Amino acid sequence: MIQIENLVKKFGSIRAVDGISFSVQKGELFGLLGPNGAGKTTTINVLSTLLPPDGGTASIGGYDVAGDPSAVRRLIGIVPQEIALYQDLPARDNLNFWGRLYGMSGKALRMRVEELLEMADLRQQAGQKVETYSGGMKRRLNLVVGLIHAPEVLYLDEPTVGIDAQARGRILELIKELSGSGLTVIYTTHYLEEAEHLCDRIGVIDRGSMVALGDKEELIDQVGDQDHIRFHLPTARIDEFTRAFSGRQDCVVSGVVRGKMELLATDGARLLPDLQSWMTAQGEQLEQLEVERPNLETLYLNLTGRGLRE
Amino acid sequence: MRMLQVVRKDLLRFFRDRRALVVSLVLPLIITFIMGLSFGGGVFGKKGISAIRIVGVTDGIPQMLRDPLTEGLEETGFFSVTWADSNTADEMVRGGEAAAAIVLPDDLVERFFQFEPIRIRVWKDPGSPLKAGIVEQVIERSLSPIQAGEAVYAGLWPEDIQPQRNQEWTSTLESYFQGDVQSVWKQWKQADEDPFWDIFQREFTRIMDRQAALSDAMEGPGVALEVENKAMTDAEGPQDDVNLFNYFLPTFSVFFLMFGVAAAARDFHREREMGTLNRQLLSPLNDRDFVLGKWMAAAIQGSIQLLVLFLAGAVLFRVNLGSDPWSLPLAVILTCTSAAGFFLLITLVCRTEKVADTLSTITVLAAAMLGGNMMPVDQLPDWVRSVGQYFFNYWANVSFSRVMVSDENLLATPQPLLMLGGSTVLFLVASLVAYRIRRAKGGVL
Repeated sequence: MIQIENLVKKFGSIRAVDGISFSVQKGELFGLLGPNGAGKTTTINVLSTLLPPDGGTASIGGYDVAGDPSAVRRLIGIVPQEIALYQDLPARDNLNFWGRLYGMSGKALRMRVEELLEMADLRQQAGQKVETYSGGMKRRLNLVVGLIHAPEVLYLDEPTVGIDAQARGRILELIKELSGSGLTVIYTTHYLEEAEHLCDRIGVIDRGSMVALGDKEELIDQVGDQDHIRFHLPTARIDEFTRAFSGRQDCVVSGVVRGKMELLATDGARLLPDLQSWMTAQGEQLEQLEVERPNLETLYLNLTGRGLRE
Repeated sequence: MRMLQVVRKDLLRFFRDRRALVVSLVLPLIITFIMGLSFGGGVFGKKGISAIRIVGVTDGIPQMLRDPLTEGLEETGFFSVTWADSNTADEMVRGGEAAAAIVLPDDLVERFFQFEPIRIRVWKDPGSPLKAGIVEQVIERSLSPIQAGEAVYAGLWPEDIQPQRNQEWTSTLESYFQGDVQSVWKQWKQADEDPFWDIFQREFTRIMDRQAALSDAMEGPGVALEVENKAMTDAEGPQDDVNLFNYFLPTFSVFFLMFGVAAAARDFHREREMGTLNRQLLSPLNDRDFVLGKWMAAAIQGSIQLLVLFLAGAVLFRVNLGSDPWSLPLAVILTCTSAAGFFLLITLVCRTEKVADTLSTITVLAAAMLGGNMMPVDQLPDWVRSVGQYFFNYWANVSFSRVMVSDENLLATPQPLLMLGGSTVLFLVASLVAYRIRRAKGGVL
């Protein structure tokens, strides 16, 4: 459904999107994971024809985004990061306006509006101005506006930013339902758990480049299945510690990572008592201890050297 | 048409936005009411706002000079003139019956031909400072070209300034101007036997020749000629029920309109910031429909604003909306379409709403000063009028003035309408080009 080859978008000398490639199958929920400023929104803007690409190709449903933008626009719906609604109008008027822009009218429009209000759980408040809604209600309306013309592809650009956990859960549920109905979705986020929870496949993007791509298991395999144990160790003890733990079968000493000694253990929980005993025997306290199960955050850290929220 | 959906949505938002309604309609209505009352009128026609009543004071000016003076003053649309002796005029001004009295010297004609200083005084009613101030301004402006002409004359022909003082001569001279035109003409025809006629003829011819030469040199200095011309066009005679507010209502309505339409046009930036513009760009709405939709919505908002103000003026203060059914609606529509195009263009060339706000405010103030919203177009200096003609509001003011003050049919003399229509097309095309350039550069995101 979506084919992207070596896509480039530049702003002056800055390459906001730097040669990324991926494809999305029909009905797939594809996640673009990366921190703020990684190039996710720029990628969406190019795929939605808002920005022309400076290199590479991108096609949606067989239509080139640069060559046939009108055909692409008919296929896609977009849910932008900001609440792109008329806050001074009620939900129903907002939906009516967007529906009419897509050429809908009469009974078909009325039915679609009611259907979407129901989907967003906003029927009771449909006549109230959007500015009176809670953050979650606005987000839900923002989402269903992108569906007014029943698009084949939906771009969701960080649709849960700035809302509480409960409202977020409701939105994610809605997205799962949509994906289940056969809609192709590209979902951008910097929330790791959302990408893990929702997406069939994930592309990890950093500084405009795709640094990893695959389903959740494939990506975690890239990190390995070992637990990462990090703790504070005085410099004078490093050699001693390395000698003591290097010979063990159940762990590998990685060395100093981000100012802490790191061990990769097949079972971190079983190794911790031995570690505690060794430190006590040396007259040291086990301080600033971190035990990390392998996940996408670990992958991201390994690939970029920084966290998703940094 | 998708353009109409943009219009419909913008108007829905306008009518639901209390702040916009207050700024566009309620505030101008309140100011209309205050201005209406301050010009001395009552409401609902109990005591309509009429022209400023002034009294001309003289016992010595012949009727044949009074008539053109009266007509000239009343032709401006501001004044209603009566003549009285000085005692009566004094009572009228003190009693508030007249806003001001213009006191002309009894020996005006004699002084004119003897080149003695002519002192014209204005008595002002302290109870009507605004009206009296307008009288003073108009008289002052009217006299300045004459004063300039006299100064030049005195410099060129000083021998005329100190003629022989001859009591007999001057009283005879005065007799030549007594009565109406017919009686003056009779006296002049019978004057062949008069020993002073030769002297008078010689003096008069020389002075008039020099005056004419001076007038030519000064390219037709103002008042004397102006008054006479206006008197000729005002063949129906003075209009006692001329409403001063006929002029002021449209000028300040256009002033408010400019602010209202500029705010409506800036909605482009608000939509850009809200993200709704991006969503529209992703819909099947094309550039032309978007720009036309925004323009039409702003023009309709402006038309509603003007119509409400004009209707309020008509109902509350008997403002004349013109006798031709097409002139006023056409002037309203074309003024608003031109204003909407102009401010949309300003909006589109500005990067942010803040910049657009600043630039449109400066433009409104400059256009108001140059285009006749702060001062009547007739009273503007020539250079200001020349510059003002490049602003749409100048032609709007001319249109409304012709319809509401002079009760003209604009279709018969369509220049102002053509200028407004032409500027509308020009601004719209420029707006569309500006929008496309901006979009190509990614400047709408």
